[in-house]
Amino acid sequence: MFLETIKPGLRRIPFHLRFINYQRNALVTSGSGKLVQCSNLTLFSPYFSHVKYVHNKKVPWAPKWQPVMKTQPSSAMEVRGEVVDKLERLALVDFGNQEGIDCLEKAIHFADQLHIVNSVAVEPLDSVLHDKSMHLRNDIITEGKRAEELLQLSRRVIDEYFVAPPGNIPLERK
Amino acid sequence: MVGVVGLEIHAQINSLSKLFSGSQVKFLAPPNSLVSCFDASLPGTLPVLNKRCVEAAVMTGLALNCSINRKSLFDRKHYFYADMPAGYQITQQRLPIAVDGTLTYSYLGGTKRNQMVTKSVRIKQIQLEQDSGKSLHDEPRNQTLIDLNRAGVGLMELVMEPEMSCGEEAAAAVRELQLILQTLGTCWGNMAEGQLRVDANVSVHVPGEPLGIRTEVKNINSARFLARAIDYEIQRQMELLEQGGIVQNETRAYDQKSGTTLPMRDKEDFQDYRFMPEPNLPPLRVYDSASVPAGLDPSQVVLVDQLQAGLPELPSVRRDRLVQTYSILPEHSFTLVNEDGLLDYFESVVKSTKAEPKKVIGWVMKELVGSLNQQNLQVSQSPVSSHALAELLALLEAGSISSSAAKR
Repeated sequence: MFLETIKPGLRRIPFHLRFINYQRNALVTSGSGKLVQCSNLTLFSPYFSHVKYVHNKKVPWAPKWQPVMKTQPSSAMEVRGEVVDKLERLALVDFGNQEGIDCLEKAIHFADQLHIVNSVAVEPLDSVLHDKSMHLRNDIITEGKRAEELLQLSRRVIDEYFVAPPGNIPLERK
Repeated sequence: MVGVVGLEIHAQINSLSKLFSGSQVKFLAPPNSLVSCFDASLPGTLPVLNKRCVEAAVMTGLALNCSINRKSLFDRKHYFYADMPAGYQITQQRLPIAVDGTLTYSYLGGTKRNQMVTKSVRIKQIQLEQDSGKSLHDEPRNQTLIDLNRAGVGLMELVMEPEMSCGEEAAAAVRELQLILQTLGTCWGNMAEGQLRVDANVSVHVPGEPLGIRTEVKNINSARFLARAIDYEIQRQMELLEQGGIVQNETRAYDQKSGTTLPMRDKEDFQDYRFMPEPNLPPLRVYDSASVPAGLDPSQVVLVDQLQAGLPELPSVRRDRLVQTYSILPEHSFTLVNEDGLLDYFESVVKSTKAEPKKVIGWVMKELVGSLNQQNLQVSQSPVSSHALAELLALLEAGSISSSAAKR
């Protein structure tokens, strides 16, 4: 059915403009009526005008995804003062003003979408390298002796020691 | 009411280079001279695990009867402190390298302190983790000086179940662990130099009732101070509860001079470590000879059964052997193995003389150790060499001199 939609005139449109219309994602034809089963770029390439396109049934004609949560979640968690204080101390992020806190609340609501997924018997994947093994290094000394270079990175240096404020990082209490 | 003590022990791994980088591990060195770009947490650096540290952890796990996890994972533990420039420490929290072991320890107890009391404590897990740098606090000038030589050195953290009840038991357990680690060669075990760091979690409760609130005691530099700190803390908590107070869940530092513990900082209130899987490190796999997948480079393979076969004679085995070979009492063999150098001394005397080992041990124990303790000397500094003692005993046997003369 797309044969009619793509008029011969389209071929004169430069390449980068042809990607704008997503509806043409799955199905593209070449002028001679021969179809190519792959992405836009190769389809419009003059080199593939002889290849026949076969549409994969698993690929929908148009994007079908929808936002998971159509409404705001029922558990509207309000972020209170002490929690904000604690978060600031733990993450060293300054939320500044009410806008910052609103942004934080939106982020939390966005993350709530994870609860909708049913992950009962599924082991969590925390690295794409989970089936590979770690590389082990031999126990030999290969680095060190670059005190001067590293000390130059610090604002204050005393006698080859880095200088830091005492105790932990001080935060002003609001 | 009884005390409940659980220990968390950090043992610095005896390796040439650090856990995740190639810088040297050395105790005294010019500040910041043993620091690589990864240790200083410069962007663009990645951790690469040291094989020797893995072998050390597996050997320690095997010596403590742990089950070794063939696959273990690394995590990040986030907290901000100046001596940890990355803002997180790479540790193993979810799936450590060894779990479920036992440490069997003994001490001389009883009314006269000459009976062997043997107990055991369960080890929850052994994990590999990074050390942080050293911070020198300069209070008057309101600043802290940071030395990153120690940052990144491999540590084995041994987490024990809270099954001990007093300072003496804890000190005996730590002493036994020191001997085991020194025999394996995985850690020098010198508490004064910070190679073995012990934190005690102390609480009190009435047996049968739920456990009380615990406090953590840090800054302990020797096994003796450990016993004192724990006993003081148990006493303090009992008195506090008797007076109707509540024990705070806090971290306390042990003060050597006064023999007391003082509060350090609020622990549970602020610290949320936000553990997360370390994304830069795939799982750590160790193998048995039978199950090594084909095509793997031998230098990448840590074989558990090979390490098990290569374990040296552990202190407990050695004590049993001494009792068997020389027919001496377990208490004596305990002291022999405990004191550095005493065992060699004893064995050389036994070789050189025809006297019975029982008599030799009697001499060594009472006279030699007694006089050494009086003059506060180590065995290596003893004015009486093993040859001299052997000759003395030979003379005694021959009846040339009386025993009282020999004692002088």
